[in-house]
Amino acid sequence: MADALVIKGLSKRFGGLRAVQDVSFTVQENETVALIGPNGAGKTTSFHLITGFHRPDSGSVLAFGQEVVGLKPHDVCALGMARTFQVAKPFGAMTVLANVMTGAFLRDRHVAAAQKKAREAIEFVGLGAREQTRARDLTTIDQRRLEMARALATQPRILLLDEVMAGLNPAEIDQAVALVKKLSASGLTIVIVEHVMRAIMAVARHIVVLDHGQKIAEGAPKEIVENPEVIRAYLGSYVHPTAQGDAHA
Amino acid sequence: MQTSGNMKWLWLAIGAIVMLALPQLVSSSFAIDIFIRILLFSFIGVAWNLMGGYAKQLSLGHAAYFGLGAYTSTIMQVNYGISPWIGMIAGGVVATLASLPIGWLCFRLRGPYFTIATIATAQVLMLIFLKFRDFAWGAEGTTIPNLGSAPLMMQFEEKSSYYYVVLGLLVVGLWITHQIEKSWIGYYLVAIGEDEDAAEAIGVNAPKVKRDIYMISAFLTALAGTFYTQYIYFIDPATAFSFSVSIEAALVSIVGGIGTLWGPVIGTVLLETTSALLQSWLGSSVGGIQLTVYSLILMAVILWRPTGLIGFATDVYHRTLRRKPARA
Repeated sequence: MADALVIKGLSKRFGGLRAVQDVSFTVQENETVALIGPNGAGKTTSFHLITGFHRPDSGSVLAFGQEVVGLKPHDVCALGMARTFQVAKPFGAMTVLANVMTGAFLRDRHVAAAQKKAREAIEFVGLGAREQTRARDLTTIDQRRLEMARALATQPRILLLDEVMAGLNPAEIDQAVALVKKLSASGLTIVIVEHVMRAIMAVARHIVVLDHGQKIAEGAPKEIVENPEVIRAYLGSYVHPTAQGDAHA
Repeated sequence: MQTSGNMKWLWLAIGAIVMLALPQLVSSSFAIDIFIRILLFSFIGVAWNLMGGYAKQLSLGHAAYFGLGAYTSTIMQVNYGISPWIGMIAGGVVATLASLPIGWLCFRLRGPYFTIATIATAQVLMLIFLKFRDFAWGAEGTTIPNLGSAPLMMQFEEKSSYYYVVLGLLVVGLWITHQIEKSWIGYYLVAIGEDEDAAEAIGVNAPKVKRDIYMISAFLTALAGTFYTQYIYFIDPATAFSFSVSIEAALVSIVGGIGTLWGPVIGTVLLETTSALLQSWLGSSVGGIQLTVYSLILMAVILWRPTGLIGFATDVYHRTLRRKPARA
């Protein structure tokens, strides 16, 4: 399988804080990789660096062989890499349909065509019944769905999901897991930042663990949960995943 | 939807007939003067609303473009005898070009910092025109030579002619807004106004979209500047770059409903009518009382109806008809 995303030696400092230090990992095409780690480990910062919201001090990010470091977020998106935000950022005053159409306009400026594409994305994430609802009136999970639909409408090849399951109840987590699997089945390459271990085990084939901005482990889910470094990073708050479904970091 | 489409055209036709007939039915030149002011500030509001309303970039420096438009056409007319109709377009071009460096500077800032920077640019331009007497008459300004009836020089004997000129400007502004609103640009503007980061993340080139809409907004505002100078036959830096023009442009949109097609028009009708009526009722009794009442009305609208009167009307409409609200 081809490499979709190759990250090499990514580093970023904020003043005295080394937010991300020399992080490297590779995501293969149509693979789902989870980025985990305790709070403040540098997961979201890594997303910002990969998608052009922050410029790394050093390192390289190749998306399908193309360097994206130095590009603006909209250029990164145009190259086929879309993201969601940890705190959902819907365009509150717009309807669900208008939100997603705004994403679809990236590939087609015609209103009718964008509307058609948007409806497909809205159906895909299961928001069909909410098409005319104002985004600010949506529930948390529906706002996350909206963010995914809006990202999908830009027709990405790589999708970066930042804690799409935070704040969801167990039943909603199951729905979200099913959705991520469905996205993967549609051929997307997915990088997911998540705290909910049950969800990570269900969707990820490969896990990258960050702690204090550094990569401390990487491998298949089964290897990761038995890795002593990882257990130490989580300071015992981490129970065996099969015993405790929703162990929270 | 066919019936509601037909209804829309019917309303537009009625509106057009009323607007065209108005100066023929009203003979009072005081009333026509108020109508002209309403149309002019509606137009300035419409121009401001494109950027300030849809994209929520709260500029309080649109007097910069109003003044550049006014000065460009006046300099061309007084010094070179060129018709203000041509000067008007030239003023628009000058304003558009000026919006590039001004935008380049101001758009580096967001929120209140952006607003303050825009105020500063208009003030700096006013100072420039105050100090440089050689090409723009300095602080005392100049009067426009009165040629009597000279339509080709944008001078008319009948006040109603000015009315039709500014009505035409407003129609153009509304038409442009409507075209933008229903296209991808309208969606991009609202997205930027709602959340610039989220817009960037789905491929919106926010700096470019903001720059482009600023250019259009500046162009239209400059046309208003030329018209105003021709209407009052006088120009000086204090009126052309007046802070109150910047305020009024934002205010009528905010009161009427920012980011809506008719918001600036409705806001202007309310504010200008109130201000004119208060002035004639209270103006002579206690000094300043009309301004106090005017300010209280403003505060009431902003406190209770932050979405403006359009938002209020839409709410009532949807509540009574039990329909779902449409896209903002």
